[in-house]
Amino acid sequence: MVNKLYQEELMEHFKYPKNKIKLDNPDFFSDIHNPSCGDSVSIQGMLKKDSQTGDLIISQLAFDGSGCVISQATASMLTQFCKNKTVKDILNLNKDDILKLIKIELGPTRLRCALLALQALQDALQKYVE
Amino acid sequence: MKVSNNKFEKLKQNFPIFKNNKDLIYLDNAATSQKPDIVIKNLVDFYEKQNSNIHRSIYDLGEVATDLYENARKTVANFINAKYEEIIFTSGTTEGINFVADSWGKDNVFPGDQILLTQVEHHANFLPWQRLVQEKTAELKFIKLDKNNFLLESYSQDNLDKLINSKTKLVAITLDSNVLGNIWPDNLLEKIIKKAHFVGAKVLLDAAQAVAHKKIDIEKLNPDFLVFSGHKMFGPTGIGVLYIKKDLHKNLRPYQLGGSMVYSVFFDKPAIYRDAPNKFEAGTQPIAQAIGLKSAIDFINQNIDFKELIKYESDLTTYLLNNLQLIPECQILGNQETLKRNGHLVTFYIKNIHAHDLSAFLNKKNISLRSGNHCAQPLFDLLKIESSLRVSFSFYNTQKDIDLFLEALKEAIIFFK
Repeated sequence: MVNKLYQEELMEHFKYPKNKIKLDNPDFFSDIHNPSCGDSVSIQGMLKKDSQTGDLIISQLAFDGSGCVISQATASMLTQFCKNKTVKDILNLNKDDILKLIKIELGPTRLRCALLALQALQDALQKYVE
Repeated sequence: MKVSNNKFEKLKQNFPIFKNNKDLIYLDNAATSQKPDIVIKNLVDFYEKQNSNIHRSIYDLGEVATDLYENARKTVANFINAKYEEIIFTSGTTEGINFVADSWGKDNVFPGDQILLTQVEHHANFLPWQRLVQEKTAELKFIKLDKNNFLLESYSQDNLDKLINSKTKLVAITLDSNVLGNIWPDNLLEKIIKKAHFVGAKVLLDAAQAVAHKKIDIEKLNPDFLVFSGHKMFGPTGIGVLYIKKDLHKNLRPYQLGGSMVYSVFFDKPAIYRDAPNKFEAGTQPIAQAIGLKSAIDFINQNIDFKELIKYESDLTTYLLNNLQLIPECQILGNQETLKRNGHLVTFYIKNIHAHDLSAFLNKKNISLRSGNHCAQPLFDLLKIESSLRVSFSFYNTQKDIDLFLEALKEAIIFFK
C-alpha cells in the first residue's frame, strides 16, 4: 500500500531531477513558495518564435527549488513536459493536467505542492506576456 | 522501558473516534485533542433539549440555557482558580490574543514602548503584536533561545533588567511551545512576571499548549491576561477562554460592540456598558460550545490527576526520545532533558527527507501527526529548518502507538533514501 504512495517515476524525478540548472539571461523567470510547508520552486526559461505559426514557444526551461518529493518531482516533470509547447498552451494547463502528468491522487494540502511549479511557470509567462 | 497506565487505557474507551477509526494512531494532540462521548452528548443534548438564546429570553428554555452557559463560566473559573467575572468566552486562543491586542493595546501602547515576546511564539501570539507595534511605532523585543539546547535560560538578573524596563508595556509569552514543548527553566517564568509587574507592564500568558497537560493556577501565576482554547483540552472547537484580571475591567474597552454587552444605548450620547463579563461578550455567544467545554473540564476533573498525567506523558515522551536518538538521520528539537522530565510533545526532522513526504507515508499507516513549520515561521528561520514532524501526546496514547510509529518511520526513511 505504502509503495503506491508515490509512483516510481515521481521518485526518479525527485532523486535525479531533470532541468535543474541555471540559465544565463532567461527570457522569463519566477520564484514561488508555499507558506504552509516552505516548499519553493523557481522557474526560468527561454522563448523562440515558431517560424511557421509565429507562436511563442518554450525553447528552454529550467527550475530550482527545495521541498518535498511532490513539489520537486513535479517541477522536474513539468519542465520536460512543457518544452517546445506554445506559451498559450501552457497558460491553459490546469490542475487536471498536472495530476495526469504525475499520475497520483492528492488531497487538497498536497495538491498545493503539486501545483507549485505550474503556478511559478504560469506566473513567469504571464509577466512576460504582459 | 515499559510505559502503561490502566486507568488511562480504560478511559480511551470513552472516545468514539477510536471506535470509528479502529487503527487510528493519533499523535497530533497539540493541534487538537479528541473528544470524549460525554462532551459530544452534552453538545447534542443542548441542541435537542434546551436550545435557545441566553441573557435575553424570559421564557423557561432561555433561563435554562442562560444557567447552563453561566455555569460553564463558573466551572472554568474554578478550573484555573480565577474569579467568575474574570472569565471571558472567546472563539479560541487566537481571538483572545487579538482581543487584548486590539482593546488593551490600542489604549495602552504608545510610540517608543516595547512589547516583549519569546522567539518561539506561535503566529497567534506574534502577528497581533507585530501589527500593533507597527501602528503605534512601538517595538517588539524577544526573549532569546539558548543556542545549545533551545532553552530560554542563561537569563541573569542583569539580562532581565535590560529586557524588561520602563519602556516595557506588555510581556506576552507562551507557557509551553507548540514546537519545542518545555522552554522554561525553573523559576524564570515567575521572575519575568514579577519583574514585568515591577516596571508596571502587563503580562499575557498563552496557555493553549499547557492547559491540557498541567494545572493552570491564576493565583499562582498572577498574569493579567491568560488565553487558551477548548478544543485542545477535549472540548469543542469554537470556544476559548480569555482570563482578564479584575483590576483591568473598568478601563478596558470592549473588543466588540453589539447585543447583550450594553446597559443603556442612546441616539445622542455614548452608550453605557454592562459590567464584566458581559461587557466583553457582544452578540450571541457559542452557547453549546461553552457547555461542551464545561463537560470537558468536568471530564478532566473526574478522571485526570495532573501529577499522574505529567508522569505518564513524560514517560511516553522519554520512550519516544530514547528511540529517536537511535535513528542516525533524526535531529530532535527542544531540550531533551526537560522534555523527559515533564514534556508532552517532540518535534524532530529527518535529514534530507521532507516532513511532508514522511507524513504522507505515515498517513498510509493510519498515523496522524503534524508536519510543516507549525505556525512558527520565525522560529524555523532561526533554527534554519524548513519543516519538521511533531508527535504530541494525550493520555490516550500508548507505548504501542509509539512502537508502530517508530516502525513506520524507519520504513519511510528506507523508502525515501
